[in-house]
Amino acid sequence: MKTLLPFARRFLRHRLLLSIGVTAVPLMAVADIQITLLIGRAIDQLRLTGETDFLPRFATGLLVLAVAQGLFRFLQRWLIVGVSRRFERDLKQELFDRLVRLSFRFHDKSRSGDVVTRLTSDVENLRMVLGPGTLMYVLSAMVIVPGSLYVLTKMAPLLTLCMVIPLFGVTFTMKYFARRLHRLSTNVQERQSDLGHRAQESFGGVRVIKAYGIADRESEQFTELSRRSADAAVDYSKASGMTQALVGLAHNLAFLPILFVGGAAMIDSTLAAGDLFKFVDLANKSFWPVIALGWMAGLVPRAMASADRVQALLDETSEIEEPTDPVSLPRVRGALTLERVSFRYPGAARLALDDVSIAVAPGETLGIVGPTGSGKSTLLSLVGRLYEGEGTIRLDGVPLAELSFATLRGALAFVPQDGFLFSDSYRANLSLGASAPLGDEHLWRLVKEAGLEREVRSFPLGLEQPIGERGVTLSGGQRQRTCIARALAADPVILVLDDALSAVDTETEAKLIGNLERAGRGRTVLVAAHRLGTVKGADKIIVLNDGRIDAVGTHAELLESSNWYRRTWKHQSMQAELEKELGRR
Amino acid sequence: MRLAAFARPHRARFAGSFALLAGLFLCELALPWVLRTAIDGPIVAAQTERAAAAEGAFDATPYMFQLGGWSLVYLLVVLIAAVVQYSQLRYVTRTGQRVIHDLRTQLFTHVQRMDIAWYDRNPIGALVTRVTSDIENLSELFTSGFVALAFDLVKIFVVLGLLYWVSVPLATVVTALVPLLVITSILFRGGARRAHRVVRAKLSKLNGYLQEVLSGIRVVAMFGRQERVSSRFRQELDSYYRANLKTVLLFALFFPLIGFLTVLVEGSILWTGAGALSNGTLTFGDFLLFWWWVGMLLGPIRELGERYNVLQSAFASAERVFEVLDTKAKVVTADAPTALPEPFRGHVRFENVSFAYGDDEVLRNISFEIAPGKTVALVGATGSGKSTLVQLLLRFYDPLAGRITIDGVDLAQLEPHAWRRHLGVVLQEDFLFSESLEANLTMGRSEVSATSLAHALDVSTAGELIARLPQGLETQVAERGVTLSTGERELFAMARALAGSPRLIVFDEATASVDSATEARIEEATHRLLSGRSALVVAHRLSTVRRADTILVMDRGRLVESGTHDELLASGGLYAKLYELQFSDDTLP
Repeated sequence: MKTLLPFARRFLRHRLLLSIGVTAVPLMAVADIQITLLIGRAIDQLRLTGETDFLPRFATGLLVLAVAQGLFRFLQRWLIVGVSRRFERDLKQELFDRLVRLSFRFHDKSRSGDVVTRLTSDVENLRMVLGPGTLMYVLSAMVIVPGSLYVLTKMAPLLTLCMVIPLFGVTFTMKYFARRLHRLSTNVQERQSDLGHRAQESFGGVRVIKAYGIADRESEQFTELSRRSADAAVDYSKASGMTQALVGLAHNLAFLPILFVGGAAMIDSTLAAGDLFKFVDLANKSFWPVIALGWMAGLVPRAMASADRVQALLDETSEIEEPTDPVSLPRVRGALTLERVSFRYPGAARLALDDVSIAVAPGETLGIVGPTGSGKSTLLSLVGRLYEGEGTIRLDGVPLAELSFATLRGALAFVPQDGFLFSDSYRANLSLGASAPLGDEHLWRLVKEAGLEREVRSFPLGLEQPIGERGVTLSGGQRQRTCIARALAADPVILVLDDALSAVDTETEAKLIGNLERAGRGRTVLVAAHRLGTVKGADKIIVLNDGRIDAVGTHAELLESSNWYRRTWKHQSMQAELEKELGRR
Repeated sequence: MRLAAFARPHRARFAGSFALLAGLFLCELALPWVLRTAIDGPIVAAQTERAAAAEGAFDATPYMFQLGGWSLVYLLVVLIAAVVQYSQLRYVTRTGQRVIHDLRTQLFTHVQRMDIAWYDRNPIGALVTRVTSDIENLSELFTSGFVALAFDLVKIFVVLGLLYWVSVPLATVVTALVPLLVITSILFRGGARRAHRVVRAKLSKLNGYLQEVLSGIRVVAMFGRQERVSSRFRQELDSYYRANLKTVLLFALFFPLIGFLTVLVEGSILWTGAGALSNGTLTFGDFLLFWWWVGMLLGPIRELGERYNVLQSAFASAERVFEVLDTKAKVVTADAPTALPEPFRGHVRFENVSFAYGDDEVLRNISFEIAPGKTVALVGATGSGKSTLVQLLLRFYDPLAGRITIDGVDLAQLEPHAWRRHLGVVLQEDFLFSESLEANLTMGRSEVSATSLAHALDVSTAGELIARLPQGLETQVAERGVTLSTGERELFAMARALAGSPRLIVFDEATASVDSATEARIEEATHRLLSGRSALVVAHRLSTVRRADTILVMDRGRLVESGTHDELLASGGLYAKLYELQFSDDTLP
């Protein structure tokens, strides 16, 4: 319960609305009970006196009560559920803000699906249990059940006692079954998502399936999954059938003492017919709140688990923080030095970077090459201070750890390998790089520099064209070039390219590099690449192997000094020739 | 209706479900009737006798026994009701799930049989929705929609009838007020459904954005754009929140309104029945019975709107599902498929083959031959028609003109599955399923044995990769499990092709660049894969081209150069230039 407390406190931020809503809950319950009592009295009056002239008074009273009940019921729902939605909104925002500021160690170790769950179903569990669950259902049960019992005890204590037992049997049934039902319904959903995955794979891989003639095997496997899904649904129906049957049983049993004990009292003339009516009606009215009470009790453990997970995310801190007294550089020149930098990914056996030292002067281009997994991307991540390793990296002589985030992020612009873009307008994607909104002219210039003018002009909506899921689909090369334009929009002192041209053909690449060199005049450029052609013109190239620097030099020097470089260069230039020859035809 | 066709084999079960529902309904009706009979019977009789009898002369014992008897009857009905209710839900679900299972597997098998051209037109996501959400909607129909709706209607009319039986004037009042409740319920459910749809759309947009930011977190961090994504998230969150408030308001209005109408019905009953109740024409027992049955009437009416929704969305789903089931595959097996002559030699001939995607001509008049055991390499720029040629050989499409023969038999006359089993196929961006590596390699083919798999792994050198994995062949290939590099995937795809001991290889080489060590390994594996087998290769690697027996150079759907290595070299065309280039550099690895 203690874990739920900090979240319960968040509800108190909306004190005024909540206090009105919560006050409406008992008032509604009281009105509900009064309606039954009013009708019960009317029945007795009719049967005993045989007069009907009190009926207009009765009708007015009933109408007033009905309107009051409706009003209170409206207020409780509107305010309590409304506040719970606000709670959801604020908590989600806070979690998101925390999430995007966490370091990469966190993102590496947590699966994105798991994080999404915390922001979706975990928050929903908390909202449901703490909001409508406690404030509406539990609270109203706390009023209507004791209230009814009080009224009934005054009339016939023994009968009330007999009736209470099956009533609370329901609470325990629900508490017991709520968890089981939840588990089984999760199982139903999981089996259904298995089916979805299978279908996705089978339909997506249809060429391979047809090529190997294994459609029958796919069908068999799907049939098996379909059967499991059906079984899960049947299992769930067993538990829910049991719950419904037990609840129904308890409900009906509550009327057995009313019949027998109440009937005996009527024979003895100690109980009036109107009173019997009150028993029947109030038993009915107490029934649903009692069920809700049990249901909620069953959900609390789940909400507590959710609270733990959400709290853990709120408590998560980034080990890469801005220093307390950060150095801000008014003008960054772009001198980068790495001094004996080593880095190991959490849990990895070997070093991803091993004792790397290199200096890049302002305006210089550094090429970084080497086989897959040699540490090229890691080096770039360290320069962006996404991770912190051993050794020191300095920007204009100041260690990164002492720099303000604003200075570092303002100086760097990054072009990722995967050409990641948001499903947003083309303009919004380009502008992500810029710190202030850019004019159309400026944007078109960037588009031109990235060699994308023809494509963007062909978009039906031009710069406003949405891209991604709901818009146009860009090819890998177009995406990468857009990322370059986005980086240039930042007008960075240091441009970081992480194998950013891998999906662009060699000819376009050559043109792009020319553009970049012109645009990049005066900029420090770090460029990691698979294709050596990309870095050929660099002032300095390092060859990485297993996290260590194997060789340093210019293109010409490396052709002499590095075997790996020479071999790879020959191989790749031949491939490029073939591509070009074939493309020309 | 066609859905009925799927339900028909299970009609006994549906009848059973209906019988159980009817049984439950009878029990529910019987309970208040027992109460009434006990009250109007022994209780009233006792009260009358006590009033008439002298002080102290009244003996309550016989009446108490009668009351006890009725209590036992009540208990019995309660127990029966519980058992019936439990079995009913189980039974209905089981029946519905059987129908759904049949429909779902039939749909899946049907989709699998459709030709590739059809897949080109239908996005995968939509197809997945057909076999998942649409089928789920239909299952709602069978489990809670169809039977329950029919039964709710029965309930409403039966209870109304019974109300008239108890008291005509009271029942008339109820009948007059019922439409009000029905209209409220249907109006509300319609509004609620629309509002919910908006909420769901906003929520999925919100969660989509969250997912996107998580996958692009590196970019966000590198540019220091946390503020900006946060404020965008806030926008999405706000619009989701506002949509939510609308549904909250709708529900906050609906429940009080229904509550108010219920009190209105109750008040009217008492008002109308007051006279009869006071002069004794309406007994208290009858009044209580009437009251109880009115309660039973209101439940199904409240649900009416909901049931209507379920029906509507289920019918929409059914329409989409049947549309798929009604589509016939275009690439079909000949009525009397010809079997390939034994033994299979792997002699392929393309005779004046042309093909177009819609109006877009991709192949024109292509003729060539793959002699048994020989390798034919296709070279040409992207979009020159190489991949299409391969897909025609796999019979993913049928040629528009011309024909393809295999060992002298027209490909169109062969049974596609049987034909493809002779092939070893390595496609570009070859698909690996999220199963164990072993399952991915064998793919349940009967012709793959432990020996042939071991041999294939050995020949393709993929065995060495597996040796490095801690779980070996048992390693799960999952979305987020082992990530295999492009080069590794290609090696595994070759091993997969080899495991079936094929006589004919169809190979679309990957274009993505891989590191040199893997490249060398792939070249070696390719050489071993092709030697001694008939092969059609879309070649991107120089080494593969050089080793081919025949090289076909494609350009915009035409065959522009063809011949052996020597012939092409002598002709001084494109291939000759490439060859020169290659040998001008004697340091080639």
